[in-house]
Amino acid sequence: MFSSIEDTIQHLATQKYICSKEIATTVYLALKMQKPVLVEGPAGVGKTDLGKCIAQSLGYELIRLQCYEGLDEAKALYEWEYAKQLLYTQILKDKLSKILEDQATLKDAVNKLSTEEDVFFSEKFLVARPILKAITNQTPSVLLIDEIDKSDSEFEAFLLEVLSDFQVTIPEIGTITAINKPFVLLTSNNAREMSDALKRRCLHLYIDYPTKELEEQIVKLKVPECGNYLIKEIINTIHEIRKLPLKKDPSISETLDWAKALALLGCEVLNRDIAIDTLNFILKYEKDIELVKKNINTIIVH
Amino acid sequence: MVFDKHFISEEDKAKGIFFEFAEVLKKAGVNLSIVEIMDMMHAIPLISIAEKEIFKQTLATTLVKDYTDIPIFNQCFEEFFQRKKGNESLLEVYASHTNTEDFIFSEEEKSLLESLIDDFLESHPQSFFKKSNEYLTKIFIDEIQSSEAGGAIGLSLFNRRSRFASGGADDSIQQELSPQVFEAIMGMLRRKMFERNMGSAIKQREDYLLNKYIYQLKPDEIKEMRELIKRFGQKMKNRISLRKKRVKRGTIDIKRTLRRNLQYGGVPFKIFHRDRKVDRPQLVVMCDISSSVNQYSRFMLLLTYTLQSLFAKVRSFAFISNLVEITDLFREMDPEVALNSIFNDTNFTYGWGSNYGNSFNQFIQNYSDALTSKTTVLILGDARNNNQDPGLDSFIKIKERSRNIYWLNPDRRHLWDWSDSIASVYIPHCTEMREVKNFLDLSHFIDTLFIQKK
Repeated sequence: MFSSIEDTIQHLATQKYICSKEIATTVYLALKMQKPVLVEGPAGVGKTDLGKCIAQSLGYELIRLQCYEGLDEAKALYEWEYAKQLLYTQILKDKLSKILEDQATLKDAVNKLSTEEDVFFSEKFLVARPILKAITNQTPSVLLIDEIDKSDSEFEAFLLEVLSDFQVTIPEIGTITAINKPFVLLTSNNAREMSDALKRRCLHLYIDYPTKELEEQIVKLKVPECGNYLIKEIINTIHEIRKLPLKKDPSISETLDWAKALALLGCEVLNRDIAIDTLNFILKYEKDIELVKKNINTIIVH
Repeated sequence: MVFDKHFISEEDKAKGIFFEFAEVLKKAGVNLSIVEIMDMMHAIPLISIAEKEIFKQTLATTLVKDYTDIPIFNQCFEEFFQRKKGNESLLEVYASHTNTEDFIFSEEEKSLLESLIDDFLESHPQSFFKKSNEYLTKIFIDEIQSSEAGGAIGLSLFNRRSRFASGGADDSIQQELSPQVFEAIMGMLRRKMFERNMGSAIKQREDYLLNKYIYQLKPDEIKEMRELIKRFGQKMKNRISLRKKRVKRGTIDIKRTLRRNLQYGGVPFKIFHRDRKVDRPQLVVMCDISSSVNQYSRFMLLLTYTLQSLFAKVRSFAFISNLVEITDLFREMDPEVALNSIFNDTNFTYGWGSNYGNSFNQFIQNYSDALTSKTTVLILGDARNNNQDPGLDSFIKIKERSRNIYWLNPDRRHLWDWSDSIASVYIPHCTEMREVKNFLDLSHFIDTLFIQKK
C-alpha cells in the first residue's frame, strides 16, 4: 500500500511509469477507500499500463480481463465444468448404483441422490475465470478490466456485485466474498457510455495527453539513449503536431517509438528531412502525414 | 490567484462548504447522487486540502463521472474556490459571515433559516433580486413574520434582544431586530443568492444558447455554441448507443450451439444466440447553404458529423443553385475546416439564390445510388426557391426511393409559403416538414430518428 500521494508517484516511477499528480491522487484514494477506478481517455495514454505498473509496484498479482463484444459471465466470472462432471458421473456409475441399491422406490433414490448433489456442484468442478480468481486469490491482486466499453451492457450488470461488495454469488454454492479485496481498474475508450450504476461504484479518472514536462520525463526514462536535447525537440514537435486537426493524434507510445527510431538512426538534432522520413512512426493515416508535411515549416525550426 | 486554505481547513465549516459545492455542481447540470457526495466526504480527510492540484482532483475523481462534464467542473471549481481580483469569491463571502452566524444562531435555527431563504428565493422572480441586500433582507424578514413556518423562528429572533442590548421597543421589525441578527441574516441571504446564481448561471447560459433562435446568435456566441454542440452531441451519442445496445440479442444460433455442444455429447448445455443486426439508419443530409439559412446548415452539418458513428452511413450534400457532395470533405478534415472550405469555395457559392428544383434534379441524376429502402433523407432549408421550377418530379423520386424524407424548415410555420417560399408544394410529399428554430429542436429531431417504430 502506498503511504501518500508523493509515495504513489515515486513507487510508480520505479516501474518506469511517470504519472501526474491527478493520476496519483485518484490511485491513492482508490486504494485507501477500496473503490474501483474507471479510467477513460484517448488511446495510447497509458491506461492499461497504469494497471500493470500498480500491480508490479505493490507486488500484487495482476489479473487481466480483456473485454470484447459477446463476453459473458461464463468467460469473466466462473463456469461449471460440464464435461468433467459428465465424465465423473460416468466413472462413478458403479459407486452410484451401490449407494442407490437399497432404496426401495424411485422417489427414495432421488432423495438419496440429492443429498449427494453437493459433490457435483462443488468448487472441484468450478472453473474460476478472472473475476472469481481475483476474489478468491490468496494474495492481494489488481484486477484489470480492460476496454470495458467493448463489452455489452448486460455484462456491466454482472460486474456490479463485484465492484460494490467484492463478492460473487454462485446459485449452487452461495456467495463467495473476497479474501483480499482486489484493486479493480476498469479502462474505457469511450466507445459507449457506461451505465450510471457502474459509474456510481467507481472513482473516475480521465487521463489526457500529458503536459510537455511530463512527456519529456517519460521519454527520458524509457529511451535514455536519446539525448536530452533531442528529446526536447521531439516533445516540442509532437505537441505542435497534436495541435493540428488530425484524424488520430500521436499517442505517448508513438512518441516513444519515434524517439527509439531516431536514436537508432543516430540523430542528434531533429531536422525537417529526417522528421518527414520518419513521420510514419507517429502518424497512422496518409492524410495526417500530408497535413503535417504541409505545415512542417512552422512545426520544426531547423 | 491565491488558494484560500485558511478558511476551509477548519473542518466543521469545511464540510458545509463541500456540500454547497456539490449543490453548485448540481445546479450547473452535473448529475450527482448521494453516493458521489459521500465518496467525496470520505476522500477529503485522506488528502491535504492545501495542495490545490490534489484537492481539485479529489473532488473531480469522486464527483464527476462523465468526462464531458469536466469542463463544467473546472469552471465551477475555479469560481468557487479561487479568489479573483475584483470579484469576491464564495469563500470570502463565507469567511465574512459564517462566524457571526454560528455565534448568533443555533444549528436548528440556522437550518430553518436556510430553508426559509430557499423558499424565499424560489418564490420571487429573478428580476426581484436586483434590489439592494438591505432591502431584500427586510422583505425577507417581513415575509417570515407573516408565514406560518416562520412564526416560531421569528419569535426567537426577536428574543435575541436580550442578548444583544438594543434600543426601545418599536413596532417596526427592523428596529426590534438587533443589528447583529439583521447582519447575519443578510449574510446568509447574500451567500445563498451567490451560490444559486453561480451554478444556475452556467446552466442558464447553456439553455439560453440552445434555445436561442439560431439567426440571432452573435459571432462570439456561435463560437461558444460549437463547443456546446460537441459536448451535447457526444452526450447524445452516448445515450443513443446505450439504447441501441440493449436490443441486441436475437434468435438461437443452431449451428453454433450444436457445434459447441458436441463436447457434451450433443446435449445442448450452452445456448448461443445470433446477434440481431443493429438497425442503424442510413442518412442523406441535403443542406441549403445560401445566406438565408447557412447558419442552420453549419450546425446541422456539425451535429451530423459528431453523430456519424451512430448511422450506418452518412452522405452529406450542400447546395445553393448547384448541388455538391461534401461527405469526403468531412472525412478528411476537421469539421470546422471542412465547413469553411465549402463556404469559401467561390465556384460553388457563385450566384445568389437557392434553386431547390435544380438541386433535386442533380441529386437524382448523379447521386441516386445514395438512396436505399433504409435511407432517411433530411433536407434543411427554407424552401425559398426564387420563383424557379420546384423540380417536384425529382423530389417525388427521392421520396419513393428512400424510407422517409424529413424537411427541417428554419422558418416559422406561419411564414411557410410567404413570399417566394414554396413549402406547401413539398409538404404533401414529405414524411414530415418540421419547424426548427434552434439547436434544441435540431437535436430533438435527431433523437426521434432513433426511437420511432420502423
